[in-house]
Amino acid sequence: MRRKILEHIGSLAFVAIVFALLLIFLKHREAAERQARAQVVAPYLNLPGIDFGNPRDRALFKETLHLFRPASPPANDSLMSAIESYRQSQFTDPNLKAGTGERGLTWRVLGRLGLMYLQFVLVYGIVLALTFYGAQSLGIYRFVRMKQGRGSYIEEFLRLVGDPNVGGETPARIRKASFTLLKAFLKGVSYAVLFSPAYVIGYSFKTSFETDSVLFMILLGVVSNGLLVNYANKFYTLLATENRKGYVETALVKNLGGEYRWNVPGGIAYRSILRLPRRFPGHVLQHIYLNARHQYFPALKEQASFLITGLIIIEMALNIQGHLCYELLQNILYRQYDIALTIVFVIFLLVKVTDILVDVRQHREGLRYENRN
Amino acid sequence: MKTGTSQRAVLPLALRSERHVRWVLLWIAGIGLLWIWDLLFLNSPAFSLIRRALFNSLLAGLLVVIFSMTLGWASGLLVYSLEKRKNRVPYIAVTFFLNLIRSIPQIVGILLGYVGLTTLIIQDILRAPFLQLLSMSFVVSLFVFLEVTDLIRERIAHYKQLDFFDAMLCCGIKESRIVNVEILRKNSLSHLVHKGVAVFGMAIFLQCSIDFILSVGLSAEVSSTNFPATLGSMLARMDSKQDILAISMVFSNLSYVTALCTRHLQGLNIAFAIVYTLVCVYNIANGLVRRYHL
Amino acid sequence: MDQLTFDIRIVADGKPLVDIRDFSLQRNRVTVLLGESGIGKSLISRGMYGLLDPAELAVTVNGLAYQEYLGTDQVRAFQKSGFFVFQEPSSHLNPLMTLADQIREGSFSGAPSMPGVLRTLWEGTSGQELDSILSVYPKPYRPSGGEKQRILLAMALEKIDMLPGSPMPEALFIFDEPSGSLDNHYRDLFLSLLFDRYRNRPFTVLLITHDYSMISRISASHRDIMEKILFRELARRERGIALRDFQPGTYTDWVDDLRGSAGSQRAFQGQEPLLIVEPRLEVFGRTLLITRDSAGKNPERLAVPPGRMVYVKAPSGTGKTTLVKRVMGLIQEGSFEATLKGMPLTGGTPRRFWQERVWGKRMTMVFQHADEALNMHSTMRETLLGLPLRKPLTSQGLVRLIGELFDGGEAGDLLGKKIRFLSGGQKQRLNLLRGLALDTDVLILDEPLNGLDFESTTKVISMLRRKMEAGMGLLVISHNEEIFDALAGADQTYYLHAV
Repeated sequence: MRRKILEHIGSLAFVAIVFALLLIFLKHREAAERQARAQVVAPYLNLPGIDFGNPRDRALFKETLHLFRPASPPANDSLMSAIESYRQSQFTDPNLKAGTGERGLTWRVLGRLGLMYLQFVLVYGIVLALTFYGAQSLGIYRFVRMKQGRGSYIEEFLRLVGDPNVGGETPARIRKASFTLLKAFLKGVSYAVLFSPAYVIGYSFKTSFETDSVLFMILLGVVSNGLLVNYANKFYTLLATENRKGYVETALVKNLGGEYRWNVPGGIAYRSILRLPRRFPGHVLQHIYLNARHQYFPALKEQASFLITGLIIIEMALNIQGHLCYELLQNILYRQYDIALTIVFVIFLLVKVTDILVDVRQHREGLRYENRN
Repeated sequence: MKTGTSQRAVLPLALRSERHVRWVLLWIAGIGLLWIWDLLFLNSPAFSLIRRALFNSLLAGLLVVIFSMTLGWASGLLVYSLEKRKNRVPYIAVTFFLNLIRSIPQIVGILLGYVGLTTLIIQDILRAPFLQLLSMSFVVSLFVFLEVTDLIRERIAHYKQLDFFDAMLCCGIKESRIVNVEILRKNSLSHLVHKGVAVFGMAIFLQCSIDFILSVGLSAEVSSTNFPATLGSMLARMDSKQDILAISMVFSNLSYVTALCTRHLQGLNIAFAIVYTLVCVYNIANGLVRRYHL
Repeated sequence: MDQLTFDIRIVADGKPLVDIRDFSLQRNRVTVLLGESGIGKSLISRGMYGLLDPAELAVTVNGLAYQEYLGTDQVRAFQKSGFFVFQEPSSHLNPLMTLADQIREGSFSGAPSMPGVLRTLWEGTSGQELDSILSVYPKPYRPSGGEKQRILLAMALEKIDMLPGSPMPEALFIFDEPSGSLDNHYRDLFLSLLFDRYRNRPFTVLLITHDYSMISRISASHRDIMEKILFRELARRERGIALRDFQPGTYTDWVDDLRGSAGSQRAFQGQEPLLIVEPRLEVFGRTLLITRDSAGKNPERLAVPPGRMVYVKAPSGTGKTTLVKRVMGLIQEGSFEATLKGMPLTGGTPRRFWQERVWGKRMTMVFQHADEALNMHSTMRETLLGLPLRKPLTSQGLVRLIGELFDGGEAGDLLGKKIRFLSGGQKQRLNLLRGLALDTDVLILDEPLNGLDFESTTKVISMLRRKMEAGMGLLVISHNEEIFDALAGADQTYYLHAV
């Protein structure tokens, strides 16, 4: 454990040092670049009789450049772009617009970012908890259905339609088949939602809901980007793997329950999947679940990283102003790399803290199960 | 002590076990049906753009898989060979560096990589569209290859734990052959294929997401229009976004579905292609798990 | 009805795994089921008991689909009244529950006499020590494989004690390789406890084993109930497998012959030993001592002469496998001194030396688990032709080599088959062939008879004898004391102790 903690601290220190060095370098370089850019365009900006806001004047100026410097069209184009970009920044760069002259990482900016960061951490924490819980619930549900021998809804539909001996009398069969088809359709829709990138769902609902609310962000973070479904699949795979192990056979031979039907004596109750803590007393699923859950916990690190990716995509793609990741994108666009790096660093910190907490917890559990506590 | 109810399957057992093949065919069929629909209802310039974007996205995904497999294999073997040595410093340094990459959220890392690509494009170093696509894929693979590294290390560690490794050594078989041929090629091919499929899905998702985000642009000089067209960048266009926005019209007016499927085709097309590909990749990966008992 | 008869067919992914008719057990009798590993003994018994998963395997029993069979009164009675002890005890205990919790759940939650049964199987251990063993979470090396097996056997014996009535026709107790992880002492103790209970109240027992020495133990110690014990063997036929009677005398007479011929290995007397190992080794923080006596008082160098078999004995968990791996240079930590054909080998010998001069050239080892030691995705042909032999194998050489342990027809079918499709016994034979094909000066064998049926065992012993006659030295570790005591002789037997 000590080695792991040292590694975490080492990587934190390394990244912090790199970050600090980059900050210093960028500050100096930015100042120099800004000056250089201004110097290049300054002689042309105040030329009498030329209004760069007028497209005709711009075209004339460009032609004039080509006349006077026919041998270097790329340089002429470059100068035109530089002038255009300088003029644009007068309108779009928030610091220049505000006329404060303030630029880069200041205490005021840090304070603003701090509040955004707290909100980000809150959303992250809630989404992580919900997906951790949701993935296990879905995984167990899928596992129980597998043990019930239930195939896909499409297979069930084909069976009802194709085999007259299944499903009872014709009206009942038709009813069951229709209901099965509806369930298959709903499952398809839910898959489409669960796998959709967040921006697709976000834009689909943009006109009907307030998409920059924290609640919507949490909902989107949980159900989109394939996060929930992929980790539910991971948990299901762990359950299925554990199910094949020898201790399960011994548990069955000790007459622990092996019935997986819903809500029958000795079977599995729906609520046992949803309630916390999850327990399946007297059932072999208790053994399986215990082992799967123990192995699943380290996946939280991977899940955290993937989740942050999802939240970043949500904030950036939906242009949610006043949120941390939107600020990140804006600062990259406006070349305020010092602020951008600060945001990247604090996101990295969040991932690292999650990793450390997971490792500490796993270590404690490991000590117990290794008989070393 | 019943082991659960089971219903007799209509479909033969063999067909059920070839789920991954079924989903590949379903994907091809789904995209095929989409194209037929587009031929009927979508204007040809938009259709041509979508075809190019789909091709670029799939090609980028494939390139990510190739890069990730290569980087993953190389780094996995490097870490394995360093681990055996008495001098632990190189091993600690390399694993530290790899863990550092692992700690960076993928999208952040890719975004920073794209900042670098943007600089290269501004400086006219990356001109050809294929080179740009190659570079984009390489950047994505830098934050995805660790999955392959972990798999390679895990497979080698698994066989080292068993008598397999020692038994081969005792027969005089060289260690490099044991690792590369006996363990990785013969006993891990299905695992690697499964991982490749998963990486492909991840690549599509990340690439589309980053290209969508870049619709804002990473600099005033270079915007997403400078990068090759992909599904993400196509979805970020104003007309596509409007098509997606139109979906919410259906909630208040169900009859708008027809108009949605004929008039707002560009955006829906792209969104469907992305989501459908991700669902199919997921099921193909699951099918491989079931087929090869991974 | 006095007889339980089963027609069982098990298919996985379209491939038939087991297809047997008239697999029968006598009610209230003990059936000792012999046969090579992988022939289907465990699958059949699991199928009978109702433990197979209908979602993974297509099973029919007596014409019934498995789901229907599971609903029959017979299966319900087996499961309610009986018990099944699986082989590989390590994987049959939950690593995330204490042993104490695992022995008190399900039908054992109110088990009154469990402590007594456990104490009997842990004779010489105080109650406190036993509680301390039971309070642990089972891990690969703690408790040991033998201890885990004893816990599972205790549960079975407890279940027998819990049942009312005499006799118990519905009860079926299946023990799959019950002595696989046990020392001979505990194996004999278990057999005594089982047969004592059987004498009091007969019940149906199926005892699966490929340890043929159990026949000798039962004949020697439980002669009074021999008439109630049936020895059957599952063997391959042209189409599928079949059950046949096995005469105990076939085995016991063969062992007697072995004992008689032990003194004939004198061809290389007087020659320098091929391998010499100094008696004291340090490895993983433990000290191992090689002695000539079982009390551990006379440390002596272990010497493997040419043309002889050296047998090392020790209780389970002492470190026999660690010893041979150290001798092979597979473990490179700790102190160790040996000489191989005059070449000094120590703890500091570099790995490259082992690779270039020892492994596969002067010394090799056959590991006990063929499933792990062989590449399941290679074919038999690839496995043997891929060896770095001094003289590459020709096709004729390959056929000749395989013919040593496989029948002609069988070999032809198996050459191109992937190893994962071979039975356990076939894999073990291939495992041995691979080691023997290298034709090294010294061959180390770890449980060489693991998983073999009687016919294959005799072939393997004959082959080993031919190799010894050609001058090869053998170092063997095995639980089959009866056979290897006879082959090695007392003068080539050593004992290993953990100090």
